[in-house]
Amino acid sequence: MASTYSAEWRSVCEKFRRAQHLTDVESKKDPENDPFRSKYKAREVLKEIYNILKRYDSEDNESEQTGGDHDRDDDHDGEPGCGSAHPGDSAAGLRAARLGAIEYFLGVNHVETEELSAGEEHLMNCMKLLDKCLVSRENVSVFIQARNQLGILWAGRDEIEKAQGFLETAESIYLRYMKEDGQPPTDLAEFFVGEEEELSQQERTRRFEMAYTHTLYYLAQVYKNQEHYEKAGRYCHITLQRQLAFDQFVPLDWAINAATLSQYYITKSCYMEARHCLAAASVIAGLAGEVPSEAAAQESEAENEKREQLRQKRAEIARCWIKYCLNLLQDAKKLLEDNIGELDIERQEELKRARRREEEEKEQGRKSAVLFGSSETSDSICALEEKVSCALPLDFQEARAIFLVGQSHVAEAKEYFQMDGHVTDHIEILQDHSALFSALSFFEEDLERRCKMHKRRVDMLEPICKDLNAQYYLLICRQLQFELAETYYEMMDLKLALANKQDELDAHSIKKFNHLCNASIKYYQKFLDSIRSPEGKFPEKLEEDVLRPALVAKFRIARLHSRIISSDVSAQLQNLSRSLDCYNFVVHYCEENPEARKAVETELELSEEMVSLLPLKIERLRAKKASSN
Amino acid sequence: MASLHGVLADTREIELSAKVIIHMEGNKTSITNIRIPEGISGDSSRERVKTFTYDFSYDSSDSRSSTFASQEKVFKDLGSDVLKAAFEGYNACIFAYGQTGSGKSYAMMGNPGDAGLIPRICEGLFSRISDMSRCDEASFRTEVSYLEIYNERVRDLVRRKSNKTFNLRVREHPKDGPYVEDLSKHLVQNYSDVEELMEAGNLNRTTASTGMNDVSSRSHAIFTINFTQASPLPTPAKFDAEMPRETVSKIHLVDLAGSERADSTGATGVRLKEGGNINKSLVTLGNVISALADLSQDVGGSQVKKKQVFVPYRDSVLTWLLKDSLGGNSKTIMIATISPADVNYGETLSTLRYANRAKNIINKPTINEDGNVKLIRELRAEIARLKALLAQGNQIALLDSPTALSMEEKLHQNEARVIELTKEWTNKWNETQDILKFTKRPQGVAMAPPELPSSLQGCGRMSTEQQTE
Repeated sequence: MASTYSAEWRSVCEKFRRAQHLTDVESKKDPENDPFRSKYKAREVLKEIYNILKRYDSEDNESEQTGGDHDRDDDHDGEPGCGSAHPGDSAAGLRAARLGAIEYFLGVNHVETEELSAGEEHLMNCMKLLDKCLVSRENVSVFIQARNQLGILWAGRDEIEKAQGFLETAESIYLRYMKEDGQPPTDLAEFFVGEEEELSQQERTRRFEMAYTHTLYYLAQVYKNQEHYEKAGRYCHITLQRQLAFDQFVPLDWAINAATLSQYYITKSCYMEARHCLAAASVIAGLAGEVPSEAAAQESEAENEKREQLRQKRAEIARCWIKYCLNLLQDAKKLLEDNIGELDIERQEELKRARRREEEEKEQGRKSAVLFGSSETSDSICALEEKVSCALPLDFQEARAIFLVGQSHVAEAKEYFQMDGHVTDHIEILQDHSALFSALSFFEEDLERRCKMHKRRVDMLEPICKDLNAQYYLLICRQLQFELAETYYEMMDLKLALANKQDELDAHSIKKFNHLCNASIKYYQKFLDSIRSPEGKFPEKLEEDVLRPALVAKFRIARLHSRIISSDVSAQLQNLSRSLDCYNFVVHYCEENPEARKAVETELELSEEMVSLLPLKIERLRAKKASSN
Repeated sequence: MASLHGVLADTREIELSAKVIIHMEGNKTSITNIRIPEGISGDSSRERVKTFTYDFSYDSSDSRSSTFASQEKVFKDLGSDVLKAAFEGYNACIFAYGQTGSGKSYAMMGNPGDAGLIPRICEGLFSRISDMSRCDEASFRTEVSYLEIYNERVRDLVRRKSNKTFNLRVREHPKDGPYVEDLSKHLVQNYSDVEELMEAGNLNRTTASTGMNDVSSRSHAIFTINFTQASPLPTPAKFDAEMPRETVSKIHLVDLAGSERADSTGATGVRLKEGGNINKSLVTLGNVISALADLSQDVGGSQVKKKQVFVPYRDSVLTWLLKDSLGGNSKTIMIATISPADVNYGETLSTLRYANRAKNIINKPTINEDGNVKLIRELRAEIARLKALLAQGNQIALLDSPTALSMEEKLHQNEARVIELTKEWTNKWNETQDILKFTKRPQGVAMAPPELPSSLQGCGRMSTEQQTE
């Protein structure tokens, strides 16, 4: 083999440098109509290097075969390094690694210029060369990176399993290498530089670890495509963790990704992991620096952009926190409620006992989880985690603590997402705030205070519902109308329960009760009116997204009308006949549109009953009225 | 309102050697993969002929053909609905989508003497305006704006003084909907004004392409007509009496970036690529994670109530700006243009697929409804009572029986007291009225009820409310 210092070798190194420059720098300037110009040039240079290396091979070692006639199925990638093979640091091993690296670069070049089959061939050649070697410090990078590329290539051809095979092998090669050797390995580019240009150990580690981070990231995508979401989530988590550990991240981007991952964990009810992601997101977002002042933002476009970005992303992280608190409360509610949505005391006791038992196991669970952070950040992340529980709240005190954290994030998020300019976002935050109150009210035993919480919801949503133009925000308007109707309904129920407790009725309570009934009817009606055509006609056939809500609204209005308290018999009669009309509507609609039945099964069954029974009640009232006259 | 999807094939630019692989029949469009030999039936993913159904399929490739769809026909099917919606005070939106050179501008703008949708819609708009103004039915104001979205940045294409045309911010106003801050609006009187502005804008669109020869296919352009009608008569029953009589509607005419530029990273705002592609760069990690947060809940079926989470994945500027047009409250028309030539098989198939799925690209917010459990239980109890009543036959005795009385029933029983109190008050009120009748002459003066004793206010209010209902 030519000496590393020979003139010819120096020219190989020079060629390699040129190929890299063409690939990484020049190619970015290529014109649109000739987008691969520089990459094609780089390819030619790489081919020259390849030919020189081949010549060295035959000169140096006549006895050794270069073709590689391993009986290996091309499609199947097993773990290398078994059986008789060259040690990676032997002369033959080094030659193979070097030639393999050039095959690798040629492969990537072809893939990047959309010649996939040729790219595949080069990459497979690279694999074949290396299969004759044991994994070592010299070649482990080639082993892993070639498989990364093949993984991408096969995934692009929709052959996910094949991609998975290559990537999982890369993963196990890494793990085994780290277990058995663990020293910073040679980087691919180092084969073609003079000794004076060798990389530092630190840089070697960085590049090697980055390649492996990519392996994990690609595996995350493979698992996602295979709908193995849990595995995908775990691999995303590790990818993020490694970005942080090897200092390869942009703080704001990283923070947003971690915050987004928390939302994934929330859907899985993994609140400890969700909280960890959020705490890390908040801490890392803090590393992105101070928000430029308004004055500074007006001075320069760059500062303005930075200010926007920082404020927006931090507000978004706050919104992820809100969802954390909200779901924690709602999950707890689901767990604790009895069949009519009230707190089940026995269940509560049982869960409290169970929690005491689990407390110790939890601690251990935490230690085994993959944690984010470096020496500087992990303390702050930990401190932030301690500010809010990740256990489902079991009583009002615990629920309130979570509610308050959620509420503080509501305030934070609203600072950026103001009504003026961010209508949809602002309203979504208000809806969350309302939902926080709603969930908290479940834990409140005092009915009066519970009612006040619902009043708060009305107070925050009602003015907005009034101001919003349905022409542009129709669907949000509908959501608000429906929620307001339900909230008034809830308050009406609570007032009744209160009156029930006092076992006394005064005119004031009746007034209040009727007011709440009417307000609830009003909003259900508004919702139903929003479905009408411009001519004011109610559609004969409801669209799927409003089908159930519309029929439920009718059903509820029916109920509400029959609940209004009136001293006047004719008013009572009027209310009951309105109620009957609404029940009738539900029944008729489902007769005309049988496919609607399954959307409102129970409601329909009850409506049918009421349609047959209500006339009786009305008759009785009529008779009473007639007799009293 | 429903949206419509039309597919339009245009062969104008086909070379003689090219084979036609598109076939249209009724509202169906079929595409043939000539690389798969005839007569072989393999797995379904490699079918030779794939067929898609749309609301309309138009063949505008050969004017001598019997199936030829003229511009007039396309306008009648699609454009007239847009006009109707605009005069009713709704928003409307027309998308044109397809590979560069597949006839997007032919469909939207047309050729001299063979006008496309945009000129026809504008003409329809202005001729109806002049009809209605002549009859003094209403007065109108029409303003237009023209913008371009390139690399997620918004640029004003028709600003006269160009102090700030780049990187405009998109915002939302509670009354006026989504808008672009500092975007210029231009008053127009007729179609030639519109045409002039459109041309000026198009000129800006191309001159801005420093070195790039193909910017137009990489950017989305939105031409918006803001249309205000002030009617002296009340507009036909809008749902709300509070609605002002001035109605504003927007017509968006959207020229989407060429489909061949739409990549999986969503640079053009529409994620298209299917299959198992892997993103290479870690920059896209956010996409993967947010997709995960979105997807992970779809597994359990729709029966389970989904958890509400927040995925901080910004909508693209395009979907953001058009959300009022995509979200259900407007007339939306999507036109996919395709080339019938075999060389474009891949692109054409992806366009057809996209058009087929287009209905689903917008995330509709849904109504989250609380369960009806409590209500259902109450109602069942009431039904049971009413049934028992029916069985017993003795109506009055049973309804008043104290068994299973809910608080509500108690309240109704308490009516006795309410009636008493009300009677008392009604008498007083009658007395007052009697007195007033004698003392005050003028008729028709509205009289406020006298002050009520506080304990009675409820009843008083209640009955007045019912009278006004």
